[in-house]
Amino acid sequence: MKVTIKLFAGFRENRFRVEERDLPPGFTVADLLRELGINEPELGVALINARHVLPGQELHDGEVISLFPKVGGG
Amino acid sequence: MFSEEQIERYSRHIILKEVGGKGQKRLLNGKVLIIGAGALGSPAALYLAAAGVGMIGIADSDVVELSNLQRQIIHHSGDLGIAKVESARQKMEAVNPDVKVNTHQLWIGADNILEIISNYDFVIDGTDNFAAKFLINDACVMAGIPYSHAGILHFIGQTMTILPNQSPCYRCVFPEPPPPNTIPTCSQAGVIGVLPGVIGSIQATEAIKFLLGVGELLTGRLLVYDAEELDFQTVPFDRNPNCPVCGDNPVITDLRDEPEAMNVCDLV
Repeated sequence: MKVTIKLFAGFRENRFRVEERDLPPGFTVADLLRELGINEPELGVALINARHVLPGQELHDGEVISLFPKVGGG
Repeated sequence: MFSEEQIERYSRHIILKEVGGKGQKRLLNGKVLIIGAGALGSPAALYLAAAGVGMIGIADSDVVELSNLQRQIIHHSGDLGIAKVESARQKMEAVNPDVKVNTHQLWIGADNILEIISNYDFVIDGTDNFAAKFLINDACVMAGIPYSHAGILHFIGQTMTILPNQSPCYRCVFPEPPPPNTIPTCSQAGVIGVLPGVIGSIQATEAIKFLLGVGELLTGRLLVYDAEELDFQTVPFDRNPNCPVCGDNPVITDLRDEPEAMNVCDLV
């Protein structure tokens, strides 16, 4: 299945801004974080098609997932 | 009763049917605390003062530094080295002499936050570290004081309004601070200077709407702003029954400082 991955802020560093990946069925948000080398506690919000999801959520063909880090500046 | 000068000063508010004379009176009787006289606090403080919010508290322990001025627009080049709360007070009073400014030049911690926030109707979180953000959330939830959360980094910002025990709190969405050193600070990652102008102004909007009792507050949804793509997303959230502070069986019942979660933009 093809999934579009959008990364924000520091998550882009040494990775990418947006990329389409072919992932195996049943792949979850947590699996994707592992594959990208992002530690789960760094994750602020994960959105699939603009809806908030938890790391256990499975991805599906054609979805767009956006990953934002926690932001603590001010 | 308004003075002639006040009628003129607030005329563009008074002619709005959502504000009117009654609403402007509410603003003049309103008390808002801004924690952090930095990038988010700057626009929030200036707009609240201009709007005629009668009492504005401003809390910060820092002094103005040169690297602040790219985004902390309430501080000017001539203010270097002076306390941020003092610099902010001068600007707010210059904008609007109707406003009484309370300065709190101290580090807000578990030992003093409840006492300070109890004097205000609404709190704006303009702090620059996770420890303070979690502390403000927990204190406002425990004290039942509405507040506006926000955070900024790089080109992204987020904000959400919390009505304690009615709408989801910050911990409903983010139960714990990130482990130390996992998230870069503003000084490591940088922040585009105009970004907090947008987010801090939204926080001031929420404070004013709350005082007026008009419109829909940004509750139950997190607004995520990506300045690079100029994209706003509002992400709906429900209250989390397992929330450690406002859930069905809260495990956080006392305030505590989380110094390991400090992520200070200015001091690093």
